Amino acid sequence: MNTVYLDNAATTRMAPEVLEAMLPFLKDEFGNPSSFHSFGSSQMEAIEKARDQVARLLGAKCEEIFFTSGGTESDNQALRGAVKIDPDRRGIVTSSVEHPAVLETARALADEGSTLGIVEVNMNGELDLESLNKLVNQQTAIVSIMAANNETGVIMPLKEAADIAHKAGAVFHTDAVQMVGKSPIDVHALDLDILSLSAHKLHGPKGVGAIYIKKGIDLPPMLTGGHQEKGVRSGTYNVPGIVGLGKASELALAHLKDTVVEEGILRESFEKRVLESCPGSFIVSEGAARRLPGTVTIIFRSIESEAVLTLLDMQGVYASSGSACSTGNKNSSHVLYAMGVDINLANSALRFSLSRYTTEEDIDRTVELLSKIVERLRQISPYTE
Amino acid sequence: MWQYSEILMDHFMNPRNVGNLDNPDGHSEVGSPQCGDAMFLDIDIDDEGRIGDIAFKTFGCAGAIASASALTEMCRGLPVEEALQIKNSQIAKYLGGMPPEKFHCSVMGHQALRDAVKDFNTKCDEISAVLADIEISPVLVRPGRVYLKSGDDVKAVERVLKEKIERNVLVEVK
Repeated sequence: MNTVYLDNAATTRMAPEVLEAMLPFLKDEFGNPSSFHSFGSSQMEAIEKARDQVARLLGAKCEEIFFTSGGTESDNQALRGAVKIDPDRRGIVTSSVEHPAVLETARALADEGSTLGIVEVNMNGELDLESLNKLVNQQTAIVSIMAANNETGVIMPLKEAADIAHKAGAVFHTDAVQMVGKSPIDVHALDLDILSLSAHKLHGPKGVGAIYIKKGIDLPPMLTGGHQEKGVRSGTYNVPGIVGLGKASELALAHLKDTVVEEGILRESFEKRVLESCPGSFIVSEGAARRLPGTVTIIFRSIESEAVLTLLDMQGVYASSGSACSTGNKNSSHVLYAMGVDINLANSALRFSLSRYTTEEDIDRTVELLSKIVERLRQISPYTE
Repeated sequence: MWQYSEILMDHFMNPRNVGNLDNPDGHSEVGSPQCGDAMFLDIDIDDEGRIGDIAFKTFGCAGAIASASALTEMCRGLPVEEALQIKNSQIAKYLGGMPPEKFHCSVMGHQALRDAVKDFNTKCDEISAVLADIEISPVLVRPGRVYLKSGDDVKAVERVLKEKIERNVLVEVK
């Protein structure tokens, strides 16, 4: 059975070129880059090449890129480090729709004494800049606003948010895990101080990511140990992972223009056809000013999302929902909740996320299946006539 | 994806007894889309006190839909009291097993049945009260039909019921 993978916001297929680039470092080139001998130390070249590849994708300088284990670690270091820079600045301001890697870390730091301000979003999932402006003050250490939301695909106004943070003297961080490689992002043009990214969201390997830290910002490390990454991130270099991230970044940059256009066209066609063929469906954040090219959440009124996912899965089509029906207490999406989406609809939401490997045939097949599934489940539903 | 049995998947893909009954003897609505599971259940109860026709509609996952389908199959033909004794574990067993996390799905069916029976009893009590007021002791009372003893005034009972009960009740002598 041919499968259709529409869960690229969760993780992506590793590009074959990435695997090729990594293989030598999983086989014969196993040295430790920190070793004195040439067998190990020669690997530093591969690390520096990867750093350059990542820096180019972000418009950053090489010395501003540090390798980590992924988005969650980078987010943790950003927040946990920022509140330690200045004892008089311990406040955190973030948004209600952040990934748990940021929200839960911010809450943990709030338990440790940081003040926490949560910026609201409007019904389209867009950041309320006025509310942000009111929450930021002279005690704010860090403002952390995601670049693009993982459920709605809404792109946040980073430059405007960074300006508000800087006006109060706070550091500005963005969790750009969903954005990097999907939509252009230039750290200097947007005036970003810290950025988190993850390799496996851009056709790279799992377990590796990076943190961009603007030159001049002295962000304390989270892990102590060896001297790796100038002490910013200790731990033996994950050479194959880092090389994979580098290659994935190079490919993402090469494909970026096409990705934005082609994925966008596919997603728009998908949305239009789903709305036409599935009664009671609507697009979340349809009215947002800017959205990622390939991510969309659709609500199918009066049917439950996991039932749809199960029927799609049986046909080899993989999507996701913001909630999981497991213990009887459904944890509905905090993102939809923050947007004020009718709570009765939150369990009817499905997310479809495309990649540059998604084809028109994938979309055709998914639309066709969805219309059948939705019809079938609406016949069983108590909320349709 | 959950590990569902073949039987469960069959009940999910081809649920039995989906729909509504016309003027059901008992109707219930439990759960809500907000909690992720909801079920509407209609039952008819025959002259012998057994569950006759039964139909459901469910908003929920595969486990919820299959559990509801299984419950309706298990109930049909059973005396009401026996049907109410069906345990969640029996539903799970009927479906060839269920992931433990999905056990709550079968709880909903049980609640729906209990509430539908309660609705049935309320409707019957309502009719019985009206009949008691006009000093009629019926042979049988169901929400949609009343059987009287020979000699009772069918027309008079029909008139009173029509006035007091806001639905059609068939009145016959048995």
